[in-house]
Amino acid sequence: MVEGLCTARTRRGVAGCWLALLLGVASLAGAQQTATVEFRYGAHAVAVPRQLGRVEVLPVLRLIGAEAVYSPAAGTYAVALGEEVVQFTLDRPTVLAKGALLEVGESPVPSPGGVAASVDFLERALLAPFGFSLQPTAGGFLIARGAAFAEPVTVRPASADFPTTTTLLLGLSRPARAEVTTDPQGLVVVRFADAQPQLDPTVSLRSPRVRAVDAAPSELRLALADEIGLISWHALDNPPRLVLELGRVFPAPSPGTPTHDRRPDQAPIVVDPGHGGDDTGAIAGGLMEKDVVLAIARRLGAILEGRGQPVRLTRDGDESRALSDRTALANRLEARAFVSLHANASTFASVRGAETYYMSLDQGATDAAAAATAETENLVEGGGGGEQTPLDLILWELAQAEVLNESARLALSVQVRLNERLGLNDRGVKQAPFVVLTGATMPAILVEVGFLSNSDEQQRLLDPAHQQSLAEAIAVGILEYLGGR
Amino acid sequence: MNRRAALIIAAAVASVALLAALILLPGGPSAPPEVGVSEQPAPTPTPPPQQRIVLLFPGGDGLLHPELRTVAVPGDPAGRARVVVTELLAGSTSGLGPVLPYPAVLEGVFVDGSGTAYVDLSPPPEPLGGSHTELLIAYGVVDSVLLNCPELSRVQLLFGGEEVATLTGHLDLSRPLPLNRAFIAPS
Repeated sequence: MVEGLCTARTRRGVAGCWLALLLGVASLAGAQQTATVEFRYGAHAVAVPRQLGRVEVLPVLRLIGAEAVYSPAAGTYAVALGEEVVQFTLDRPTVLAKGALLEVGESPVPSPGGVAASVDFLERALLAPFGFSLQPTAGGFLIARGAAFAEPVTVRPASADFPTTTTLLLGLSRPARAEVTTDPQGLVVVRFADAQPQLDPTVSLRSPRVRAVDAAPSELRLALADEIGLISWHALDNPPRLVLELGRVFPAPSPGTPTHDRRPDQAPIVVDPGHGGDDTGAIAGGLMEKDVVLAIARRLGAILEGRGQPVRLTRDGDESRALSDRTALANRLEARAFVSLHANASTFASVRGAETYYMSLDQGATDAAAAATAETENLVEGGGGGEQTPLDLILWELAQAEVLNESARLALSVQVRLNERLGLNDRGVKQAPFVVLTGATMPAILVEVGFLSNSDEQQRLLDPAHQQSLAEAIAVGILEYLGGR
Repeated sequence: MNRRAALIIAAAVASVALLAALILLPGGPSAPPEVGVSEQPAPTPTPPPQQRIVLLFPGGDGLLHPELRTVAVPGDPAGRARVVVTELLAGSTSGLGPVLPYPAVLEGVFVDGSGTAYVDLSPPPEPLGGSHTELLIAYGVVDSVLLNCPELSRVQLLFGGEEVATLTGHLDLSRPLPLNRAFIAPS
């Protein structure tokens, strides 16, 4: 074809000749830059295009069984596998994993397949948080997990002993996936999936509740004092560490032993219909936000209670409630989750869709609150002991990070179900310092179910069938989150 | 006493009286003399340099979109923040919507020693509704100021000279807000 065009003697023919040559060179260059790379995971493999040093990411995530959900409004992907969720945004070099924002140095970019990124980004940002690593092979990479590529991780234990509990911090020299269990002999075992733990020889742990800590090839073993056991544990990043709560563990009651302890699944979910009374919330077309969200809240409560989950509404009529009282109620009831329902409004009639928020912690506010808490704790404990880094500050940060992480997972679960079931315009999961979420000690979210200022959504929000669908989608999201904990 | 001596004495008395007046009257001896001294010409103020700033305005997708504008920008953070908010309130030149959905007036800007800017806006004349409205007001102003003033870390919004707990019953406006990019449209 190029030859045919170039044989033409007209001016147009000469131009066409050059154009064809340029196209030919461009296509050859493109052919050289595009290749496929094979990713193999167990018995399955996928070949993905690689161009300009970037590979298509989504097929690789599907290969390991991860689910990726895209929020077009924010340009954000949420990747979920098991209990872990990783969020990243196109053209931004940051990743939200385990409630912490990680700087990854380079950005994923939009691509024909959805999103493309370097292999380094894929491994560090999207595979490592789920416990996977990449091993180069002849035609690509092997996705592996477990101890096959175990590298040493140095563990620095430290403890804080309180009157009835001990908080044991295991600082890690690098991020490492771990599980903490209690074996039949009563030892607490910290098992690392992809790391060989080594105790920092410069640190010695002194706690009346921990007798010994030993390192084995892929695990740590903790021998505890009599009647002391593992109450709970969780992992945190920045810096990477494991936090174990230790305390007195009573033997399980024998059958028939009466107990007055409330089972965790009997704690209620607190559903908060926003606004109320004089506070109408948004108004559009004579429709008031306070009425719409109360109707949906009642439906949501009925669905959850039908599934055996107790529910408490912050208001069950057209009543005023202070914002702080709503969260305080959830804290007092030790609720499993706090879900505040709202309907939105915008000055742009075109804006529509649902979105779910969880709290953002401004570091300044956090520091102030942590300092106040530490001061109180020091008074209770009889003084700070002269430590340069008050442990209470660390514990405050740990507790806040854990609540934040769980709130993010709840928000994502609810938003995904709203998207799936209702086909609403997905406005995604976002963080903002909302008053009604401040101070919640349990997973807490605020759901905006749609825009009253959009005429279509206004009509839908009036429709009892749509209200029921919204309530069902939110209920499924909540229950799936609680079932996965 | 002849006439010449009388004149000398009168001149001496007048000189002493003038000296006493200069010392005792407000302003004292340091007060600049009003006559007999030539004034220095006042220095011509140098106009602030023209710089490009980025302003965030809401679009029809409900997100904040950047708009670039070249204006005279003072060197100090408070002056720069004042220019940013003033330009923001003047509105978009590219068809984007207003950050504040009412004809707001900038009543003041000041900066404290911790890197917090206090931006005082006239309050809305009537209640507003929706978290979306509140978020775009707050982060349209906060993010615009902080993106152009790297010395600043937070912005405290005031309305009518006072802190408000919240505008529409959602966002906590009682504390200074840091930058939040969640509402800026992806580039």
